[in-house]
Amino acid sequence: MSRVRLAIADDHALVRASLERLFLGYPQVDVVGTVCSGSRAIALAEKLKPDVFLLDIVMPGLDGLQAIPRIQEASPSTRVLIISMHDEPEYLQEAISRGASGLISKAASPEDLFRAIEAAARGEVMHVSTLLTKREREVLTLIGQGKTGEEIALHLSISQKTVEHYRQQLMGKLQIHTEAGLVAHARQLAITAS
Amino acid sequence: MKGIRVVLADDHTLVRRGLSSLLAADGSISVVGEAGDGRELARKVKSLQPDIALVDISMPLLNGLDAMLKIQRGSPGTRVIILSMFSDEAYIAQAWDHGAWGYVLKDEAPEQLIKAIHAVASGEKCFPVDPMPAVIHDPLSPREREVLQLIAEGKKNSEIADVMMRSLHTVRNHRARLMMKLGAHSAAELVRAAEKLGVVRPASPKGQK
Repeated sequence: MSRVRLAIADDHALVRASLERLFLGYPQVDVVGTVCSGSRAIALAEKLKPDVFLLDIVMPGLDGLQAIPRIQEASPSTRVLIISMHDEPEYLQEAISRGASGLISKAASPEDLFRAIEAAARGEVMHVSTLLTKREREVLTLIGQGKTGEEIALHLSISQKTVEHYRQQLMGKLQIHTEAGLVAHARQLAITAS
Repeated sequence: MKGIRVVLADDHTLVRRGLSSLLAADGSISVVGEAGDGRELARKVKSLQPDIALVDISMPLLNGLDAMLKIQRGSPGTRVIILSMFSDEAYIAQAWDHGAWGYVLKDEAPEQLIKAIHAVASGEKCFPVDPMPAVIHDPLSPREREVLQLIAEGKKNSEIADVMMRSLHTVRNHRARLMMKLGAHSAAELVRAAEKLGVVRPASPKGQK
């Protein structure tokens, strides 16, 4: 596979420089430009047409999420990978629905980042299930269908205590603090997925 | 010239690894250790006794400011430079009050950070503004602040006991004292108090697009 041409947008200079530095010893990726805002990202995309654009989700003015469709307009062949401080499924959903190929957390390892960039360059789109375990997704789906803890336990052949454990895990990962919120979120995901 | 030995702490692994590489490019700086949370930082500083600890202000388990007391105890000769996304004077003042030698914004170019490292290594303090002493009403002891951060991170008492290597009984006592001191009647109120006291940074706003 030929070298991936990568552009980076982050409003913090130190973060920008650190991210760029990661690719110094990684010949498969060539950093072609770095910018500090969403609007400059659009201009850079138009000018350089990078294969992948690594975009910070929160920037002043036009932020990452808002910039995605405009970057794709400026350069339809560019894949956008959002970089975020948090790795929450709802951000991934949002990013993908706006046209991104995926989302990666700043707490991820460099190897994770390289893999995500290469996957994006190949045209792959990240699935939200990658952020939840398979079992967590199963439980979440059933919660969205309005099933009680007892019903979920029966359905998955696990104990109710285990169901409760998954419920807590989901609330933690999704940063949702009420049962009702979890049900609402699960139903929203089901609607988005269909 | 003797190299400046630095331990680097930031929970954003990608940023930390890139920054480590950037600093290493400066021939007189040697990154001798890295940490992804405040507790790991305290352990590494104690065992490595670096000249400088470069510390991100917001880290899980133990934030940068509250880690400073442990750093000072474990390695009194280590000078701390705080790294932060926040330029609020209140945070800068807090860093000063906690005994930091420097405060560098992530907004600034790497060259500035390297300059700050050299300055602090040679005995100069490096702050963006002249900090006024912070007048922050903080009724909590360092230990209570530690417990409060872990509570605000959603940890159960048993997990807190594990992280802090204390008994469950002690943790429960701390939690009760915290609720009393802060006038909190629920975990949610404790979390709000934690944000107010700078023990944790406010969570990412959900509505932010």
